[in-house]
Amino acid sequence: MTMAAAKPLAQSSRVLSYAGALLETMDGALRDHPNAFIMGQGVDDFKGIFGSTTGLAEKYGAKRVFDVPLMEEGMTGVAIGAALVGDYPITTHIRADFSFLAMNQIINMAAKYSYMFGGLMRCPMLIRIVVGRSWGQGAQHSQSPQATFAHYPGLTVVMPSSSQAVLDMYPAIINRHPGPVISIEHRLLYNLDFTISPADKRVPLTSYVAREGSDVTVVATSVMVLEALRAAQYVQDRAGVSAEVIDLNSISHPDWELVAASVRKTRRLVTADTSWLEYGVGGEVCRQLMMRDPGLLRQPPAMLGMAPAPCPTAKSLEDIYYPSQHDTVDAILTQAKGKNHGIDLPVERSMTEGYKRFRGPF
Amino acid sequence: MTLDPEPLPKTTSIQLFKSLFLARRSEEYIVKHYPENLMRTPMHMSMGQEFVSVGVCAALEGKADVFASYRSHAAFLAQTHDTDLFFSELYGRSSGTGEGKGGSMHLASPGQGHILSSGVVATQIPVAVGAGFANMRLGTGRTAVVFFGDGAADAGVFWESLNVAALYRLPVMFVCEDNGYAVDTPREARQVPASLTEAVKAFVCDSYEDDSGDVESVYRLARGAVEKAHRERRPAFLNVKCCRYLEHVGTGDDWHWGYRDKAAVEREWISRDALLQQRVRLASLQMSESAIVAVEDEIDRAIRASVAKASQAPIPGPERLYAGVFHEKA
Repeated sequence: MTMAAAKPLAQSSRVLSYAGALLETMDGALRDHPNAFIMGQGVDDFKGIFGSTTGLAEKYGAKRVFDVPLMEEGMTGVAIGAALVGDYPITTHIRADFSFLAMNQIINMAAKYSYMFGGLMRCPMLIRIVVGRSWGQGAQHSQSPQATFAHYPGLTVVMPSSSQAVLDMYPAIINRHPGPVISIEHRLLYNLDFTISPADKRVPLTSYVAREGSDVTVVATSVMVLEALRAAQYVQDRAGVSAEVIDLNSISHPDWELVAASVRKTRRLVTADTSWLEYGVGGEVCRQLMMRDPGLLRQPPAMLGMAPAPCPTAKSLEDIYYPSQHDTVDAILTQAKGKNHGIDLPVERSMTEGYKRFRGPF
Repeated sequence: MTLDPEPLPKTTSIQLFKSLFLARRSEEYIVKHYPENLMRTPMHMSMGQEFVSVGVCAALEGKADVFASYRSHAAFLAQTHDTDLFFSELYGRSSGTGEGKGGSMHLASPGQGHILSSGVVATQIPVAVGAGFANMRLGTGRTAVVFFGDGAADAGVFWESLNVAALYRLPVMFVCEDNGYAVDTPREARQVPASLTEAVKAFVCDSYEDDSGDVESVYRLARGAVEKAHRERRPAFLNVKCCRYLEHVGTGDDWHWGYRDKAAVEREWISRDALLQQRVRLASLQMSESAIVAVEDEIDRAIRASVAKASQAPIPGPERLYAGVFHEKA
């Protein structure tokens, strides 16, 4: 990571992996806030949550960065209690699926304390959860629960899709956000390198336009933002179709006016989310648009997400379970030019070489 | 702990050896073939710990309803001996236990008494208690057996399950494969009681500990424990010390991470490897080297045939993606 950071690029730009950005923000939180601490299974070990906490236990000591027994609900309760009396806890789950063991504390406690007690207390904390994908992660290691968490008032839910988003968002959350935040990180992003832009291009703590366009609006989350950006480049090159990509970024507090303004311009919509469509993020995008103006769309939208099944392990099924680059391009072209667009689709089924190479660590 | 000082029948010693060898050799094939990238499923290897489930499953003589964690290869093979099903699932094939949908972490064959394997720590424990409850109500005479690691004993649901099994007087076998680590965190860094075996005694159950590293010791222990559990109508807790030879997940070793000392592990565990011990025992029972080799070769051939069959078996077609999501016939 330091090697990448040292690469000379444009002024004040640098290259940083997603894991490297996470590590910088975790380091920054501990450095700048004496009351911040990180707890979670394996946060102090050699794998360091896929490189996002590596070395911090040595640097800040075991009172600031510590391993816990297998006790997801208990750990979350402990974190909440610490938050209520002034600490800033950061908890981790190496799979989002494991945070389900902490649902009671997150939803019945953390989400409600400030409101239920009439503002007597606040519960500022960051819960980092990682979505698994590829190499047969299977039904219990691959779920992406942004819609679930964002359903509950009181929880702030974010899905940073780049190193820039992490660098801009995490300090803002840790420094200023008064309530519980769930950040859903995607495992396939961790090993990717991103260019960090100069300071005037900061990613806000809400939605933003990741690529400007005029023909089709693509509203995407997390790793699907990268899929969308790549598809947008493809349709531009092959078909002259101009796709605008919006990174929803904040799931609980998106900039709906930004989304609506884009759709007002393009009149065509593709949603691309990392989870199931049923009662999901794409559905919420449509609800927000419908409530503003039911005539916004020229035609029914295209919606990309996981197939409505638990995640299968067999590669033949896993491959069709997730939307491919092929599907994303086809969705954009179909919106722009109709079903019989006649434009060749990319042959590859998955996005980056990184996807194909991914074999853990898990 | 030895409940029965009588030597086991020679046929039993041979059966235990076969079962141990089956599990070990099957995983050796996984190690060998994993780099071919055809088994696309995260592997949590049993290697080193096989004697626990081999001993327990043999002791229950097919009358067990087995519940396992994601580290279930040995338990599955000990209970079913079915390498065709096993490898087919690892290869993601239609002929697998879950037609390729589950993979290594979710092996299951209820008809053969391996009810399920679960990918989230400790989640299989209360489910096993449920099977124990139903077995008692229905008078099936079967015994619910749950395998889990010492990491699962961190979890509240382990203690809830133990409590309710004792409260309802269910003869459930709680078998802790105590390899001393949750991933790389040693038990002392996670649990206050100096002894899990002692802590469990506060619940009305029989709590046993075994650090022999010997499959026959585990076999005897389990036979005595299950008999008593049914007689006294209360759960049994078997805390069997063991060693995971390979990394937490993956098919390699993990000495380079330095959280445990290779020399110490070799001295304390690998030097008295349960499979080697049992092989030596067979020799001491006047079984000739050539006879032992013949047994090994037969198992090896069977495994190789299963691997070949699995790697050629049909892959699930796209029409299977939605089969079984709700209640249509899977």
